[in-house]
Amino acid sequence: MRKHYNITPEGTRDLLFEECGAQKKVENILSDVFKNRGFTEVITPSIEFLDVFNLKSHNFPNEQMYKLVDTKGRIIVMRPDSTMPIARLVATRLKGHPLPIRLFYNQPVFTLNQSLNGRSDEVVQSGIEIIGSSSKRADLEVIATAVEALNSCNTTDFRLEIGHIGIFNTLVEALGVDYDVVEEIRWLIEVKNYPALNDLLDSIEDSDCTGMLKQLPRLFGGEEVFETASKMFNNSKITEILEYLKTIYHALSELGLHEKITVDLGIVNRADYYTGMVFRGYIEGFGENVLSGGRYDHLISEFGCDLAATGFGINVDAIARALLKQKVDFGNKIPDVLVHAENGYEMKALLYCKDLIKQGKTAENSVFEDLSQAEAYAKQKGIKQIDIISEDVTLRMVK
Amino acid sequence: MRPIRIALTKGRLEKDTVGLFQKLEYDCSELLNKGRKLILSVPDANLEVVLAKAADVITYVEHGVCDLGVVGKDTIMEYGGSFFEVTDLGFGKCQFALAGEKGKDFYEGYSVKTIATKYPNVTRRFFEGKGMDIEIVKIEGSVELAPLLKLSNAIVDIVETGSTLKENGLEVFEYVAPISARMIVNTASVKLRKQEIESFVEKIESVL
Repeated sequence: MRKHYNITPEGTRDLLFEECGAQKKVENILSDVFKNRGFTEVITPSIEFLDVFNLKSHNFPNEQMYKLVDTKGRIIVMRPDSTMPIARLVATRLKGHPLPIRLFYNQPVFTLNQSLNGRSDEVVQSGIEIIGSSSKRADLEVIATAVEALNSCNTTDFRLEIGHIGIFNTLVEALGVDYDVVEEIRWLIEVKNYPALNDLLDSIEDSDCTGMLKQLPRLFGGEEVFETASKMFNNSKITEILEYLKTIYHALSELGLHEKITVDLGIVNRADYYTGMVFRGYIEGFGENVLSGGRYDHLISEFGCDLAATGFGINVDAIARALLKQKVDFGNKIPDVLVHAENGYEMKALLYCKDLIKQGKTAENSVFEDLSQAEAYAKQKGIKQIDIISEDVTLRMVK
Repeated sequence: MRPIRIALTKGRLEKDTVGLFQKLEYDCSELLNKGRKLILSVPDANLEVVLAKAADVITYVEHGVCDLGVVGKDTIMEYGGSFFEVTDLGFGKCQFALAGEKGKDFYEGYSVKTIATKYPNVTRRFFEGKGMDIEIVKIEGSVELAPLLKLSNAIVDIVETGSTLKENGLEVFEYVAPISARMIVNTASVKLRKQEIESFVEKIESVL
């Protein structure tokens, strides 16, 4: 059998030097943003039982999870999502904890992608969850944090779009069709497939609802969407939702963000646990959303603890890649000094290094036996200075 | 601002789309005299045209390196992907059909049927919808050969006029799905460059 010891599995990769630097930089920026706003970090295991992602109201697509079997024959999966493990954690470990609970995470998620489609199977995600609050302020706090997060990463232009799953839910409920049809309609709205959506809705008895559903995927853009929508929908529940979104939109505009915020009433993710406001972030140069989040009030109750919650996750890899294109400094430095010890002065060199570092320099302790080798190395690596340690210290510039 | 980039499926769909551009009185000189170039510009519409094979159109649009694409519904059904499918362009019309030797009853008997096709995913889904197990043989060239050589009981393929089937003693048993050219849009592009993309799509729709 052919052995694959010199490549990595499809969908994974090594991160070297500035790639790694960019990744860590984004992680640090985001951690700071979250910590400064009062969120505390948690880490959940990389592997969980399949059951955590296979709930009544929501299940992660089975074919997209990496699976293992434990010693008792139970199915284990590589975490495909961080919110569901956090819901588990909150419902069990944090039962009775004062509310709201503000958590953040920064860890990879794993998805088994279709072969050869150029997507990563391992993606680092960073995100927050506010658990135990169903207030508008919580929604606002989450969105404001999302904007702050994207802003702080200083990538290219970004957009954040907000929507509300309740509009779709209200409309299909009134339609009174089977689950399968609802899912079909949801899918067609999500992919904005206008022709097929119209065909499908035309086959259902004509009503206000079918007309409104037809328009749903077209309802995206700036503030004008609210006006168009309120003229279109004459349903008190939907009017309420629109008002809600509008206040959020205006609150964000007050933060000077109206150019960055758009509205899309056609966000209706198929495989999501969201129950209320939903939002997504996009950056220039990445063909998918880099941030996604929303309110999920029923998820934690599936783990036995009825708590409202809202949050979002950011694709750290995507943002790091965008940063890489900008040639930002990622803190990978060439050492200022190479410290080389003559035979017998190794310990002195170590102390000398420590001293230099204390002074704020970067100092690399030479591991060569021979000075000429050390010099050749410094030259190759671009280190400008060698300090030679014997009885005295001799500073030598590298030519 | 970089031009909007649209990927066209080489061949007939490309010609029909260029026809639409001409109706809009865009400067199509580069598109008509393209030589071997693969990226062409329509300067007055701030548009860049990329020519690609059908399945690659989806790949380029999905990854966002092209904002828009023109591709057949057959390719969309077979390859799937995440993008917005906004407009039925109405040209490139044909049908997916299940076909086989004339006069035979395809559903006769209990044995698992073998289907030859270039579209294994479409075929699998069609028969899954019927709750029917089948065996699929992927064929790259003329699929019609397979039932003639008794490799398969039937084929699932694109049928336009049906003349190839007829000449080889085959007939359509059942239609699977209608096909036509679609305009697809990258999900992020539509959010980041809404105005430009919407007005372009509207212009195209106005000359359909």
